[in-house]
Amino acid sequence: MTSKELLVPLHVKYIQKLGENKDDLTYHLTSHLRLNAVYWGLTALAIMGHQDALDREEMIAFVMSCWDEEAGAFGAHPDHDAHLLSTLSAIQILIMQDALDRVDVDRVVKFILSLQQPSGVFAGDKFGEIDTRFLYCAVNALSLLGRLGELDVEKTVEYLGRCRNYDGGFGATVGAESHAAQVFVCVAALAILDRLEEVDTDTLGWWLAERQLPNGGLNGRPEKLEDVCYSFWVLSALSIIKRVPWIDSDKLSEFILSAQDTENGGIADRPGDMVDVFHTLFGVAGLSILGYPGLVDLDPVYCMPAAVIEARGLRKDWQALPRKAISS
Amino acid sequence: MHGVKRVKQTPEALEAKRQKERAKIHEFLDLSDKLLTRRKDSDFSEESFKLTTRLLHINPEFYTIWNFRRNILTNGLFPGSTQEKVNNILAGELMMTMTALKSHPKVYWIWNHRRWCLENVPFGPGEEGSETYQQWRTAAWDNELFVVERLLDADARNFLAWGYRRYVLASMPVPRSDASELAYTTKKIGANFSNFSAWHQRSKVLTKLWADGTLNEKTSREAEFDLVTNAMYTEPADQSVWVYHRWLVGSNPGKSLLLREIKSIGELLEEQPDSKWCMESIVHYARIFLKLYPEDGAAAGLRERTHQLLRELQELDPFRRQRYIDLRTTV
Repeated sequence: MTSKELLVPLHVKYIQKLGENKDDLTYHLTSHLRLNAVYWGLTALAIMGHQDALDREEMIAFVMSCWDEEAGAFGAHPDHDAHLLSTLSAIQILIMQDALDRVDVDRVVKFILSLQQPSGVFAGDKFGEIDTRFLYCAVNALSLLGRLGELDVEKTVEYLGRCRNYDGGFGATVGAESHAAQVFVCVAALAILDRLEEVDTDTLGWWLAERQLPNGGLNGRPEKLEDVCYSFWVLSALSIIKRVPWIDSDKLSEFILSAQDTENGGIADRPGDMVDVFHTLFGVAGLSILGYPGLVDLDPVYCMPAAVIEARGLRKDWQALPRKAISS
Repeated sequence: MHGVKRVKQTPEALEAKRQKERAKIHEFLDLSDKLLTRRKDSDFSEESFKLTTRLLHINPEFYTIWNFRRNILTNGLFPGSTQEKVNNILAGELMMTMTALKSHPKVYWIWNHRRWCLENVPFGPGEEGSETYQQWRTAAWDNELFVVERLLDADARNFLAWGYRRYVLASMPVPRSDASELAYTTKKIGANFSNFSAWHQRSKVLTKLWADGTLNEKTSREAEFDLVTNAMYTEPADQSVWVYHRWLVGSNPGKSLLLREIKSIGELLEEQPDSKWCMESIVHYARIFLKLYPEDGAAAGLRERTHQLLRELQELDPFRRQRYIDLRTTV
């Protein structure tokens, strides 16, 4: 069974119950993503207008229990090592919960800045894996913390420029193939740094528009399968370069909605698959950019509620589709 | 979760699954607790090392345990070991991660661990200056190319594997020639024209070969046009081929090249009158032409043709209709 509407109450319930799956092996095998999952769940709830569905104090306490005192940043779970991925999630959650005062911001900033490499890219942690994803995490987090002034912007932008390919897209490192998720991180980082002139808008717009497949879904690279998470990676980049109308939004909405679990809630990578909170967020986020009625505006640059970003004076010049009226 | 089918389960089946998983959960949590405690206590013993092997076998995404494993190696097992022993331990690590990659080819942390191992392979055997001083390192890196090729055989588009391949090629103590990398992309493209990852790699390798003069750019470029034109005729709906063609033409092409390619694609369009990519590409090259050579005699005809094609594309490819409308205002 599929639904033509977003089943908000069902998805809210699905997210609320995620923490209760402790007799499910998958729950434990994904502990390395716990803090990210809390961010995905909270943001999805906020975009659906139900941020209060999860207990605020409990959430803040959990985030703080992931603090890695030795490194001065956040791991994904209590007793896990600090990493940029989980550190960004922690900052995003605390900002959405208006609880940034609990954190030693100076130490987090020091941790983030220590990971920039001579080339300008960031490592994810002290073991040195590099990727433009980590660069985005660093730029996003520093911006949210109001500490972008301490970043070597030129070096950072130069690295991003070197990751740009002739098809207008960006890769994970210099020389890597364009990939929609890497396009999002690079374009969003450039947006935060006010350096969108590094993007070849028309070429990238073309490449992104060609991600839409006959079933309405989006893929991440040429000749690959569609996946709901690309609804966000592609759409966020399109909205930052103001080209969302270059794809068929109705067909994409239908595709995202067809990937819902209409019985137990949640959204999957594609119709008929197992749902997870990651695809639930990126499905809802995509729908918000497409102007789906009743949803809260999402900021595509930070992937957080637009009002939160506006309140901090961080809003950039992106363009989503106008919010449609709820039909009765 | 990617590509896992949702199956409707009866309450009985769910309960049976829970029963089955209970023991596994217990084992996992028990191991996990033990290791996190040992990590806190900086217990870098052989015993801790063995426990990390067990845990990572169950869950290769547990990055904290990979980190702990490296700390055990650096602080516990390497000190006091001969260089030969270190080399053997690292060979074991490479074997262990190879097995893990076979079942989890897209887990970043496994690839990451391999990088660390390779970078830590010691010099030897023998002293600095001896003939064999580079032997362990060379052997490890050479083998790495072999490994990554097996993984690309299993999934020719795995972008982690391609990224890793570029890393290996750039880091090998005895570099492999760019010409042999070019031959590798020829092989991968020959096996499947839709493999854009291989076309992408080819564009990077050719750029290097042209810049350093290994290949004559002019003749090599012509050979590429032959290859890609052949691919267009075989798979006119395949994006990979058209994207590569754009790279080949470049952003600042000469007048005659542009006209030649527009004509050649036009011939294919006559054979395939519904080919979106033929139309889209003619529009693309015509727009470049009009931008670079607006005063040329061919410009008026191309402008008219572009408008006509953009009208047709609006009907043929309605998903991207707005883009074609926007483009018309720029021509």
